[in-house]
Amino acid sequence: MIGIESAWLIPTLSAAAFVVVALAGRWLPMRGAFISIAAALLGFVLFWFALADLMRNGDGAFSVNWLVLGDLTITWGVIVDRLSVTMLGLVTFVALLVQVYSIEYMRGEPRFGWYYAAHALFAAAMLTLVLADNLVFLYLAWELVGLGSYLLIGFWHEKRPAAEAAKKAFITTRIGDVGLLIGIILLYRATGTFDITGVIHAVENGLEAGLVSQGTVNAALFLIFLGAMGKSAQFPFHVWLPDAMEGPTPVSALIHAATMVAAGVFLVARLMPLFEMAPAVLLVVTCVGLFTFAFAGTLALVMTDLKRALAYSTISHLGLMMLSLGAFGMAAAMLHLLAHGVSKAMLFLGAGSVTHGTGKTDMREMGGLWRKMPITAITFTIGAASLAGVAPFSGFFSKEEVLRAVLEHRHPIFLVLTLAASFLSALYMGRVTFMVFFGRNRSGAEHAHESPWLMTTPLLLLAPFALALGLITFGWSDAYPGFGSFLTGEDRHGLDPWLIGVSNGIVIGSVITLWAWYKGSQASDDFDTEAYPTRARAPAWWRQANRVLVNKYYVDEACQWLIDRVVLALGRFVALFDRIVVNDTAVDGPAVSVMLSALRVRYIQSGRIYTYAMAMAIGIVSLALLWWLAP
Amino acid sequence: MIELAHFQLLGAALFAIGVYGVLARRSAVLVLMSIELMLNAVNLNLIGYAAFMDFTEAQRALGQVLVIFVITIAAAELALAVAIILRLYRNRSSVNMDEIDLMKW
Repeated sequence: MIGIESAWLIPTLSAAAFVVVALAGRWLPMRGAFISIAAALLGFVLFWFALADLMRNGDGAFSVNWLVLGDLTITWGVIVDRLSVTMLGLVTFVALLVQVYSIEYMRGEPRFGWYYAAHALFAAAMLTLVLADNLVFLYLAWELVGLGSYLLIGFWHEKRPAAEAAKKAFITTRIGDVGLLIGIILLYRATGTFDITGVIHAVENGLEAGLVSQGTVNAALFLIFLGAMGKSAQFPFHVWLPDAMEGPTPVSALIHAATMVAAGVFLVARLMPLFEMAPAVLLVVTCVGLFTFAFAGTLALVMTDLKRALAYSTISHLGLMMLSLGAFGMAAAMLHLLAHGVSKAMLFLGAGSVTHGTGKTDMREMGGLWRKMPITAITFTIGAASLAGVAPFSGFFSKEEVLRAVLEHRHPIFLVLTLAASFLSALYMGRVTFMVFFGRNRSGAEHAHESPWLMTTPLLLLAPFALALGLITFGWSDAYPGFGSFLTGEDRHGLDPWLIGVSNGIVIGSVITLWAWYKGSQASDDFDTEAYPTRARAPAWWRQANRVLVNKYYVDEACQWLIDRVVLALGRFVALFDRIVVNDTAVDGPAVSVMLSALRVRYIQSGRIYTYAMAMAIGIVSLALLWWLAP
Repeated sequence: MIELAHFQLLGAALFAIGVYGVLARRSAVLVLMSIELMLNAVNLNLIGYAAFMDFTEAQRALGQVLVIFVITIAAAELALAVAIILRLYRNRSSVNMDEIDLMKW
């Protein structure tokens, strides 16, 4: 019987595909790409078996011992529960479609085989992370995910920006990972185990019995959240994600939808019982999420590069997921992760299709593409509508769930700010869709053509999910009482009519705003050079605000200043300390002092027999006197 | 009446003269002779103790045998040392100990 006990096969298949494709791919047809795709497909099939078994028989956990160190046992183990199976479905589905899509998109690439090997490694790492039952194993997979993103973002490493972006992604997330590692060690010191369920129980009991202090738990969870911030690109660690656009577009689809950035949200969701014991940290999570949501939303408004605009949209939506997690809305965050995952995968694959058809990435050179690329245009519009939160699309339901979680658990001010920021997310999604697919034809659209079927099929397969995935939030039968109850066992479903009214009003408002902005810009020339905010007749403060936004709030400059003036200055001081104190004084010092003293002391070696004989005589007499006089 | 103390005094005097000779003479031959004096001073002591202490016959014999050994070794050593001194003289036309100072830094 294939079921949850076979779940460990899903990452193992991808890992095996990585080994085979990396080692033997060059001698295989299609350079081994089909092996990687087959592993993803088998994983997706196994996911359905696991899901069916889970619905019938409940959770399971399987492990084999890996390290036994005294009392401490670290396992290679998997937890197959509702959370991890949900993630398995998303990761295998998106990875499968992205890999199929890449056959056409990456055709003729010199390192075609390696591309698929890296994809398999990336997917295997993420699937392991999702299933891991202890924090050490999870951390291992976490770092492998970072490695996979590094390899894929820097896939075109001959291009300098791509190599720099890969390094930036790796190093930025590593900074957060240091926090994660320290947090895991703190939890281990407090509880004596790495096992996730064990840690949760130990902290729960320890807090009640006073064995574990609230301060330790807060510190550990805050540090773990730092790791999640790095991977999920929360402010101020968001800087790597827009730069990661230098990678191939299908890679962006994978990173933004399922593998890399979902890891941070998943980590917090996995440790949600722990976070609920530290309300102070959850408040931090909420604030960081809300700030990132609004912050990235404003930046997405002014980006002119299609992929960068989508990247800021991802950061913004990750902020929304964190906000939801911080408001105790784990199910809402996971629902939004799913809805955003399928929608954003479709948007990025659509963006890749646009780039494939026009050879451009700058939205100012597009426009009116819907006539040339109808399938891409329709699917892209569905994805954009879903992320904008337009009523029947899947993003709408998940956004409503998030808003309800915020309404129930947080101060009303958070709800007001979230609604205000969701206005932005509708606005920039509308802008992107409008600039690319509607309006007047501009230079890039002349030779545009629809992409081949291998690229449009994944788009068409994703479209129904972006349309209707949100419906899983409702309970459809006794066996499935709604997504929230399915995931956490809480009894909560249904939407708040008042909230639906407000958020629909906001979406309609943003559509009206867009229409007001773009009305007439069809005819004017400045639309071609720059988007709406910098029209010549705009007031000065408007242009100034636009300049700040185009420069991304100068966060990159601030980071550069921090690196140049603080990190490198400190590094130079440490290097100097090492050179002078450690090397010259502590290591070379004794050697030099021995040498200098030897220069003097060697003169007692006169080479003359008298000297030695005299020393012997004096020595013997001294010994004799000592022996005689001493008591 | 000759007693143990006489042996010891004579031995000590001979040994001191030997030490003085080793330290103060420049000629390698004289230094060699002084070393022989020191060896014989020790021999005198050994003989004196063997004769005067309250020992068994076997122990007395042992002391005398030790003296014979010392004399034998001293003869061998002398042969070697004289050979070295001869080589020294052949090489440097001198046996002045002040000039033999190659074994230094």
